[in-house]
Amino acid sequence: MTTPVIEMEGVTFTYPGGNAGVRDIDLTIAAGELLAVIGPSGCGKSTLLRLIAGFLEPDAGTIRIGGRDMSGVPARERNLGIVFQNYALFPHMTALDNAAYPLKVRSIASAERRERAREVLQAVGLAGFIDRLPSGLSGGQQQRVALARALVFRPRALLLDEPLSALDAALRIEMRDEIRRIQREFQIATLHITHDQQEALSMADRVAVMRQGRIVQIAPPRELYERPATSEVAAFVGQANLWTGTVADPTSVDTPLGRLSTDPHDLPRGVSVTVMVRPERVELGASTDGSNTFSGKLKRDRFLGSMRRFDLAVEGGVITGETDELDPVDVIHIPTKYVHLLPASPAV
Amino acid sequence: MVWITTIYLAYLFAPMLLLLIGSFGSIWFGTLIPGGFTTHWYIDVVNDPSFRRAFWVSLQVAGATCLLNALVGLPFAYAIYGAASRGVRAAARVLYLLPIAVPPLVLAFGFILAFSTDVLPFLGSLWILIGGHVVLTLPYMLQTLVGDMRHLRLAELETAAESLGGSLISRLMDIVVPSLRHSLAAGMIVVAALSIGEFQLSNLVAGFLTRPYPVVLLQAFYGATGFACAATVILLVLALGASLTGALTATAAQAARGIPA
Repeated sequence: MTTPVIEMEGVTFTYPGGNAGVRDIDLTIAAGELLAVIGPSGCGKSTLLRLIAGFLEPDAGTIRIGGRDMSGVPARERNLGIVFQNYALFPHMTALDNAAYPLKVRSIASAERRERAREVLQAVGLAGFIDRLPSGLSGGQQQRVALARALVFRPRALLLDEPLSALDAALRIEMRDEIRRIQREFQIATLHITHDQQEALSMADRVAVMRQGRIVQIAPPRELYERPATSEVAAFVGQANLWTGTVADPTSVDTPLGRLSTDPHDLPRGVSVTVMVRPERVELGASTDGSNTFSGKLKRDRFLGSMRRFDLAVEGGVITGETDELDPVDVIHIPTKYVHLLPASPAV
Repeated sequence: MVWITTIYLAYLFAPMLLLLIGSFGSIWFGTLIPGGFTTHWYIDVVNDPSFRRAFWVSLQVAGATCLLNALVGLPFAYAIYGAASRGVRAAARVLYLLPIAVPPLVLAFGFILAFSTDVLPFLGSLWILIGGHVVLTLPYMLQTLVGDMRHLRLAELETAAESLGGSLISRLMDIVVPSLRHSLAAGMIVVAALSIGEFQLSNLVAGFLTRPYPVVLLQAFYGATGFACAATVILLVLALGASLTGALTATAAQAARGIPA
């Protein structure tokens, strides 16, 4: 197994005055891996980045970068490339000078640093814009300069602090692919902080979900989506129908909607659970054997372009589903394999 | 609105226009405008040793005031901007704006009390005059610099530079000072304009040989009107030159940052 580039063990930090920070953080990022951290505002994800970057010192726990304990090591000696939310490009420097700045402070000769800065700007697709000031570049181009500047000195890892949040929707999607391409090209360990779950799921090798200063789950995107560890993760990552339930037997669970069939599971009878069904797994019409079939009245029907999302009021609750079909919705069914049982949560 | 603007402009430009006309008039006594045309008032001002010395003193004082403002103002503004506590920032702001609120006369009386003693017998020296001008003009420099630091989000730029490996000296020389060069220049021009025109404090603390131009100018009004007009026009040209340079610097700064003027 490759040595992790970034390791956090039991890291805890509280802001002065007792304000929320992060608690008991354990995570690793391997070489070439992109780990996205998502969570609601104030959950501590930016604090996590600032701790790794060296802008904050943990109250407890250890942060290692490249196997070396970073306690007391200032930010400028950690050799990490950081892309900030607003890019923080130096306004008086051209794109080339911005990209060359990290080499200048490392006393690299002028000719070499210009050459290396030019190469990295070319790698991010900005070869024709090297003499422009940041004010003469579009948001996407500024983003690329910030990325080039963070990569030019071959840092041990890349930290991205909500780098796409200042871009418009179309450009954001384009830049997701571009960042991923560049990150793969440089094979660099990357921590990507974002509040956009779609961005995290589409870019990351693994996604960490944070809530109230703690990491609730770290998993590959598909696993996180299909098998969320808790109802909180299920509710935060994508859309989900969540109901309280009690295990009835090894293949069914009782819910406010009635008894739902599930795939075989080993949970003991009578255990309280949260039942999760993703809306896109809800199918129109009745099932062949009549199980998990519900009829009701259409409460809401939203057109979302490539599909529609509907709320069907049934006896005992509401089922949200998604379909690309235009047929009237009055009967639906939930295939048993898509009925997931999660630990019970009082929040549901 | 048009009337208000017209009245305002008349009050602004009429005295300047009268001074300009008066400075070229041969005789001006009991009439609305002077009679005849001459340039000898300007030649007289240039040939007057006390005016020549005062002009040179004013330039020296303005230059030194600008330099000291930059040297003191930049680190001071940096400290105010970077203060972690909001309370400290507010207190510093009140403190540095105090010289604007306090009349220069009060400051001058304080200077007289402090520097006319046997312990500090410096009243009348050039350095006391420069010190007084620095105290009076520093608020304007600080206001300009702190405003620009906020506008540029200097803290973010510094954090970025630090993460990229920049030491404190490198951050200061490569990021802070170059980023602030336009506001530093604009601040110094404002300071120069204020210093050149300063009268109240200078009149009380300057010595006979260190009288700046506005103080000597007052004496001119006890003599020939044309001479006084010509001497005032010279001061006006200096002040307008400084204002114009300030405006051009601000426009250049906006253009460099891609902000529409």
